[in-house]
Amino acid sequence: MDAARFGFLMILPALVMLLFIVIFPLLASIYLSLTKWSPLTGGGTRWFQAYQFWGWLSNYWNIIRDPDFLMALFRTFIIVIVVVPVEFFIGLVLAFLFRENFPGKKIFHSILLMPMMIVPAVAGFIFYMIFQGQGPINAVLSKVFFHDVSILWLQGNISAMIAIMIADIWQWSPFMFLILLSGIMALPEDQINAALILGASGWQRFRMVILPLLKPVIVISLIFRGMEAVKIFDSIWLMTAGGPGTATESISVYMYKHGFKYLQWSWVAAGGVIVLIIITLISMQALKPIKEREEQSA
Amino acid sequence: MDQKLYKKVLKLLLIIVVTVLFFFPIYWIVTMAFKPFPEWTAAGGKIYWFPNHPTLDNFRAIFSQKLEMSPISGTAIRPIINSLVVSVIGTCIAMVVGIFAAYGISRYKAGGSLPFMLLQLRMFPPIAIIIPIMIMWAFLHMTDTWYGLSLIYGVVTLPFSVWLMKTFFDDIPHELDEAAIVDGCSNIGAFFKVVMPLAKGGIASTALFVFILNWSDFLIALILTDRKWTTIPVHISKLQSALVGALYGPKAALGLIALIPPVFFGILIQKYLVRGLTFGAIKK
Amino acid sequence: MADIVLDKLVKRFGKQTAVDRLSLEINDRQFIAILGPSGCGKTTTMNMISGLLKPDSGSVIFNGKVMNNIPPGKRGVGFMFQNYAVFTYLNVYDNIAFGLKIRKLPPDEIDREVREVARLLQIHHLLSMMASKLSINDMQKVALARSMITKPQIFLLDEPLSNLDAALRNVMRAELKKIQQELGQTTVYVTHDQVEAMSLADKIAVMNFAVLQQYDTPHNIYNHPKNLFVAHFIGSPTINFMNGVYKNGEFVLEDFNRGTISIGGGSRKNFDKQLKGENVVLGVRPEHMKIGERGGDAGNLRAEVVSFEPLGSKTIVYMHPDANPGVILKSTMDSDYKPKIGEVKSLSFEEKNLYLFDRESTDLVFRFGS
Repeated sequence: MDAARFGFLMILPALVMLLFIVIFPLLASIYLSLTKWSPLTGGGTRWFQAYQFWGWLSNYWNIIRDPDFLMALFRTFIIVIVVVPVEFFIGLVLAFLFRENFPGKKIFHSILLMPMMIVPAVAGFIFYMIFQGQGPINAVLSKVFFHDVSILWLQGNISAMIAIMIADIWQWSPFMFLILLSGIMALPEDQINAALILGASGWQRFRMVILPLLKPVIVISLIFRGMEAVKIFDSIWLMTAGGPGTATESISVYMYKHGFKYLQWSWVAAGGVIVLIIITLISMQALKPIKEREEQSA
Repeated sequence: MDQKLYKKVLKLLLIIVVTVLFFFPIYWIVTMAFKPFPEWTAAGGKIYWFPNHPTLDNFRAIFSQKLEMSPISGTAIRPIINSLVVSVIGTCIAMVVGIFAAYGISRYKAGGSLPFMLLQLRMFPPIAIIIPIMIMWAFLHMTDTWYGLSLIYGVVTLPFSVWLMKTFFDDIPHELDEAAIVDGCSNIGAFFKVVMPLAKGGIASTALFVFILNWSDFLIALILTDRKWTTIPVHISKLQSALVGALYGPKAALGLIALIPPVFFGILIQKYLVRGLTFGAIKK
Repeated sequence: MADIVLDKLVKRFGKQTAVDRLSLEINDRQFIAILGPSGCGKTTTMNMISGLLKPDSGSVIFNGKVMNNIPPGKRGVGFMFQNYAVFTYLNVYDNIAFGLKIRKLPPDEIDREVREVARLLQIHHLLSMMASKLSINDMQKVALARSMITKPQIFLLDEPLSNLDAALRNVMRAELKKIQQELGQTTVYVTHDQVEAMSLADKIAVMNFAVLQQYDTPHNIYNHPKNLFVAHFIGSPTINFMNGVYKNGEFVLEDFNRGTISIGGGSRKNFDKQLKGENVVLGVRPEHMKIGERGGDAGNLRAEVVSFEPLGSKTIVYMHPDANPGVILKSTMDSDYKPKIGEVKSLSFEEKNLYLFDRESTDLVFRFGS
């Protein structure tokens, strides 16, 4: 059996799976998005007959003008813009702190990795408890400010967003820490020493040698973290279920609510297609550096 | 000399502070799991930083047939089993399909852009395509079943198993396969007899990594299961009580149980975490 | 003015001593080589001179000023790494300009200096190329340019030629020496290649196992090696060692059946008292070990030819003494000399070419013909 055929056979199961479980639903989603069908109007799961409720692009037209949808997009954007850089910063500082040895390094390392491995839904629940009006966060703040603090975090529009961001930062800073640390440990000491001998100060070495050498790792960490941050759902659902009202609805929460509370399936399908288009455009750009690296090493 | 020591102490202090901060939420759920009902929330402003009267009541509560405070049949045994079953089978599916695909990609450059399409797949919010899948599953009577959920888990983690295994296969010099083939082995024979044994460590680590991902899923299980096959995260989210409100104690107890496999496995495969999380883009 | 004094430098890594009380004096404008096998402590010494490592005790002194607490960037040294350590993410121009950018020189001045150095080293056509994509030979020139441009008074080179291919190595050797003489920097050159050290250095510091063995001119090191190690390390092919016993004015060489060599009374006076025991090692360099010639003072030594290497300009013959097949002796003969393998030949050498070592202390006791 020749090489090409063998290779094809090897990837065949994966292709089949993708075809049926990804491509097909994707097409079905597009189909649905062009109808006005919903189980409430179309009778159960007989979605073949959705074409009876044809709507062309009316879903798209309406959803783009839906303030909730736009706000959900915007909120997701805000969340990502805030948490990813903060997680990056914390991860970077930690990574530099872990550059040299110190007593107990391995233990601290393991503890710092734990948040990342907590089931996100459970993490959401933990922060739900912590941010209660009479929970530990307020207790600590009260001690710090010598004044009774009882912010109802999860019931205020902005405070709920902050709480969610803090939860995400807690859970995923270790992710950045881990990746950046591996980059830092792989730094070529020779080049840094060369700069040192040429007279570069600590800050100059950091800015002119270390950061540029870390660039590939930094880019990868930001891309992968950004990619996951956009999908944020579990922690939000367990903390606020998108509330109060719609104050913490990320795009995933929005679509879940409209899909399963309001059962607006074709509406959500349209929303999904829009999100998919946005993400595909962004990902094609973002994955370029990774693609280039693969091609280089090939 | 003094200045260097001073810097080191400062660094260590910073690390300790940060570590304590990061450990606190874990500490909170661990202690909450053992707190009796009166200690769940601060009555009259008093917070119990450490359970005054540690108890196993919460654990009993989640395993009892009928949660005295909850309208749902409380026992968490079923969700725990469900999570295990679905995660294991989903992992198996992702691993089997993924290993073959990874080998094809690593050795035969099969599939062209397939690997990158898989990466793009990971970028899609699952909610975007889950509704048609749910409709499909409902049509095929696959909702609320172990095979329905496992299959989706297999697909969703396929990008990881493919990319990770590809990097592990890439690490094995392809001269070894070629030598086997020159010696008369078939293509598939070389795969099973030469490459697979050498990739054992990679396979185990990838499997554990994928398992953690499946175990941690919430959204997909939320949508595709109802009563019979809920997983632990979904069960936790549903534990409410009309009388008491949020059941901190039992939820924390169950949450604690849920935390153990990922944390345990995560520490086991620490070495490969970076590789896994970056789809093999960074190999330490 | 840039002279270097190393005063009893000590460096330990855990329980291992890498440099053991090294003292060295290097004058302004001198080119000295630190020579020794891997692990002897030469790179560690270099790192202490540059400031990358801090000595556990002892001092590094430039022009009378103790440098121990002065960071590498402020010592005015240029350093060339064994792996060149060019900045892989910068192009050649930015690599060379780096030292000047650190000093915040104005851009046009930087430009001028960079192009001048590049032209000197003949890499001006590569200025816009990424440093990581260069050939090893060009990379080395970039590393050299980068360290030269700040006009350091002291130049430290850590095995800079070991990664080059043989042809370029010879060319670069000459280039380096020429540059050093033109620019007048005090240069410390670390290498494990004794040919390099012998050809380039004004003085060589031979090190082994963290200890300085000998610090002298190449000529003296070759002709008056302080001990067995130095004698063996310098010279290619390596010196021949023959174990023997000194008795009654004669050397009885153990490896030969009839290995008695008589020594004239005149010479005997020089070492009779110094020989602490009777066990000695006689050293003869291959170029002085002749096969089959009449005359010479070597007595009746016989050896069997094991193999030979015709090298074009000369032929090296490998033999083992008739009483000990475990020892290999080398003789450098003319290029048209063609021995037969297995033949037994007689060996001869002149007394004035003998090195006499004490077998226990390994020190040179007497150098005949001196």
